[in-house]
Amino acid sequence: MASQPMTSSIQPTDVYGGDEVSAIILDPGYSSVRAGFAGEDTPKSFYTSCYGVSGDRTIFSDEDVHNPLVPDMEIRNPMSKDGVVEDWDAATQLFEYAITSRLTKFKQSDPMTNGVNDTKDMDVDIEAADEEEKPLEEHPLLMTETAWNSSKNRERAIEIAMENWGCPAFWLARNSVMAAFAAGRATALVIDVGASTTSTMCIHDGLILKKSIQKSPVAGNWVSSQVRSLFSTQDPKIDIVPHYMISSKTPVDAGAPAQATFQNFKHNITDSFRALEEERVLSEFKESVVQVYQGPGRLNSTHPSGVPNIENVRAMPGRVFEFPDGLNQMWGADRMTVVEGMWDERAALPIPSEPALTKAQTIPEMIRASVQGVDMDLRAALLQNIVVTGGTTLLQGFTDRLYNEMQAMWPGARIKIQAAGLTTERRFGSWVGGSILGSLGTFHQMWISKKEYEEFGVSVVDKRCK
Amino acid sequence: MTSHDVRDMLDLPQEGAPRPAKKQKLAGPRPVLKGLAREVQNLGGDNPIAIVPEVSVFKKRRFMSRKPASKWELVPFKNTARSDQTLILRHWRRKEASPPPTVIDENEGESSEAAEKPTPVMDDSTFAKFNVQINIPDYTDDEYNSRLASPGWSRDETDYLMKVISDFDVRWPLIWDRYEYEPPQPRPVEGDAAVNTGAIIVPPKARTMEDLKLRYYSIAATIMALRKPPIKMNSAEFNLHEVMQNFDAKQEHDRKKFAEAAFKRTREEAREEESLLLELKRILARSDKLNEDRRELYARLEAPPSTGNIGIFSTSGGLQQLLQQLMTADKSKKQRKLTLGGETMSPAVGASGQTQQNFDRRESSVRESISGPSGGNNKKGNTQNAADRRQLTEEEERIYGVSRHERLGTSGPTFRHDKITKPLVSKSAVQQAKIGNILGELEIAGRLIMPTAEVGEAYEGLLQSINVLLDARKVADKLAGEIATAKAHRAEKKRLARAESTNPTANGDGEIKREGSAVASVRAGSVQRKRSASVMSAISDKSTKRQKK
Repeated sequence: MASQPMTSSIQPTDVYGGDEVSAIILDPGYSSVRAGFAGEDTPKSFYTSCYGVSGDRTIFSDEDVHNPLVPDMEIRNPMSKDGVVEDWDAATQLFEYAITSRLTKFKQSDPMTNGVNDTKDMDVDIEAADEEEKPLEEHPLLMTETAWNSSKNRERAIEIAMENWGCPAFWLARNSVMAAFAAGRATALVIDVGASTTSTMCIHDGLILKKSIQKSPVAGNWVSSQVRSLFSTQDPKIDIVPHYMISSKTPVDAGAPAQATFQNFKHNITDSFRALEEERVLSEFKESVVQVYQGPGRLNSTHPSGVPNIENVRAMPGRVFEFPDGLNQMWGADRMTVVEGMWDERAALPIPSEPALTKAQTIPEMIRASVQGVDMDLRAALLQNIVVTGGTTLLQGFTDRLYNEMQAMWPGARIKIQAAGLTTERRFGSWVGGSILGSLGTFHQMWISKKEYEEFGVSVVDKRCK
Repeated sequence: MTSHDVRDMLDLPQEGAPRPAKKQKLAGPRPVLKGLAREVQNLGGDNPIAIVPEVSVFKKRRFMSRKPASKWELVPFKNTARSDQTLILRHWRRKEASPPPTVIDENEGESSEAAEKPTPVMDDSTFAKFNVQINIPDYTDDEYNSRLASPGWSRDETDYLMKVISDFDVRWPLIWDRYEYEPPQPRPVEGDAAVNTGAIIVPPKARTMEDLKLRYYSIAATIMALRKPPIKMNSAEFNLHEVMQNFDAKQEHDRKKFAEAAFKRTREEAREEESLLLELKRILARSDKLNEDRRELYARLEAPPSTGNIGIFSTSGGLQQLLQQLMTADKSKKQRKLTLGGETMSPAVGASGQTQQNFDRRESSVRESISGPSGGNNKKGNTQNAADRRQLTEEEERIYGVSRHERLGTSGPTFRHDKITKPLVSKSAVQQAKIGNILGELEIAGRLIMPTAEVGEAYEGLLQSINVLLDARKVADKLAGEIATAKAHRAEKKRLARAESTNPTANGDGEIKREGSAVASVRAGSVQRKRSASVMSAISDKSTKRQKK
């Protein structure tokens, strides 16, 4: 039609450089696994990385993993605290579930014969054929990994993709690089604050500068343990009661003891399940109450006017949080002290059974070390392209504080922080970057094809994916 | 607020036009309502309630083409940029040969598709052309040994460097970052494997980026020159060669050190530097302006002096005259303008006369303000200025040549520079030329370079003495002329006397001649002497003749 602005016969490849080949992007992390088709803006498939083991049954998917009625369910995580795959057998199942549950359940074939529009008698054949097929035979797979992934792990990844899933092509990309791509940068200083690890590193022209990689455990889970530590020091001590335990509750005044009746389960609830459910309550708390002190200076330092910053914070209005059992309380300056340790190791609350935080593990020091590890000529460009990604960066005031800290560190430099405004883009930054990369026409020459894998073996991944 | 109030405010007649708009609206097609709707409508009386009756019509269907939906197919394609050509990916493409749009022909269209399918000419990816390779110089063993060997770099490490560079496409930050050279385990090639190998292993040196660059650029430049002598290179190649050959690792290193120091500035230093830069910018801007001013001044100084004679304006009388002249010029201009304006505004004669009068009055007042009270103004100004003005010291007065007079001279106030030009201007052109010659002889410029009071006085004295000199010279010339004629006269006399005594025969003739000449001379003298008398007589003759007539 002439009235249409652009006919579909005009290929938009010239404009966007895109060329969709229905590649699948798989972005595993410590807390969740993201999977989806390249070219889309959010992952279609998003699951918690945890899986349940009940007897000899392995349970995936959010609905079932959080179900307290599954008897004796152990919760496990195939990922290590570093964000790399530890238990490949479980991880393979988990990833496969993430891919097949939402993305490639049905074989992509001509709609006339794919069984959807057919009568019943056709179904049997197709299902039989489906079982023989490998889940990804028609989809190139782009998988992300951390910058510190071991060579053995990478080889295992391509092996599973090629052998178990039958991918025609495979690529392993660094998640920080992908996050930089999602922000539209090929050269960037990426600050990734996830669930288990915080990492900062410099990226030049789409490749990581290895000397600049810094990582520390000061991330979302660490904040959770800080919150736990805060709860245990409260008077009276606050016990986290997850939602599943509550049968009913009656509203109480702020600070008054909770009045709730608990659910009784006939079977045993494992500690790992309770920990997982407690973590959900803590996530809620972190999302709605916890706030990063924005600056200027640090929470424990004194404002130029002579008033300690903490006093200013105390004067600010607090926030009320109601626990699942009805206990509610106003949180004042404490909501900021729990995350102050990210910036100032002396402000961190002591966590039992964990070594105290060192100065090098705080975010400003990691950034300093990262920038120190690259060539002088790059530093100015990097500071103007700071990409912030990861779910924990959504803490209120995080980017403001980051900016203030960096400004204090390099007062003469121009600092520009690139933080996606959309929550999904911040949480799935590395997936979105993978989605962009996987749909680029120029990327297709990079894929490691099945033939190359067969020719060179698993070591091809180390040679190609630098 | 009612319409009554609005009318009151706008001074409109109270019972104006009987609101045509509203009447029209009422007269308009009133929806014919039935039942309860009509009752509701009637509640409003004359002012109908604005109820928009619900229209139960769906949005218009989009105009769609009658053509069948365009067909897309999953087309396999290959990418020639790949080293491995077996990977065939598939993407959705619109079917090239679309079947004729009519429904009847669909079967035919499908058959044509089927015919097309067996020709599997696989497309190449449109992005394959973007794959660019860079050239990394390669070298043979001979070339390496003869030209490229360098102390501190083994062949193995050089090869490794070249490999890393080609792996990372000469992106130096990455090359430096990923450069992890491990020297190979020493192999027992030389035969003396017995030598304890542990001592030979040198820990890999940490290479700086400058080391790597220096090595690579020197290799690249050497290979480049080897493949193509510098004489035959085109300018781009030659420049590249030059740049690579002249790479200065030390300078680069120093530059980075400096940049790092600048990077680590504190806030105060940064601010100070910023303010200094600002200051510098301001100074530069100011000096620009100053230069501009100075140039303008020079241009003015070098302008040719005005050719017109301004001697007449040098006196106060002259100045007064000039003022009058300017005023009349101004007046005539104004008058013209005003009369022109008057004509355009009102062609009546009386009006123009009135403007004339008006103008005269204004003019006179202007003149008054200029001439009349100017004395008073001046006085006031003087007293005021005396307070404001800086008192000059003796020394300064001498420098500026300030002189005080009890009363002005006969000629009124004059400009001091007149003293320089006046003696020259008042003379005739011949004399001016003469004075100029003398000044030239004395090597003094016609125009004084620095006409201070003293210099002016000296110059005046000089001119006076030049005048005296010229006068004296004139007199001397005259006297010399007279002496010369007298001498000639005497010589003549002497010669004649000698001729008389020696040649008496020719005496009569001579006598006659002498007498004749004497008579002639006498006559000439009398004529000269009496010319005025004869002229007068001639005039008187004429007048008498006229009277006679």
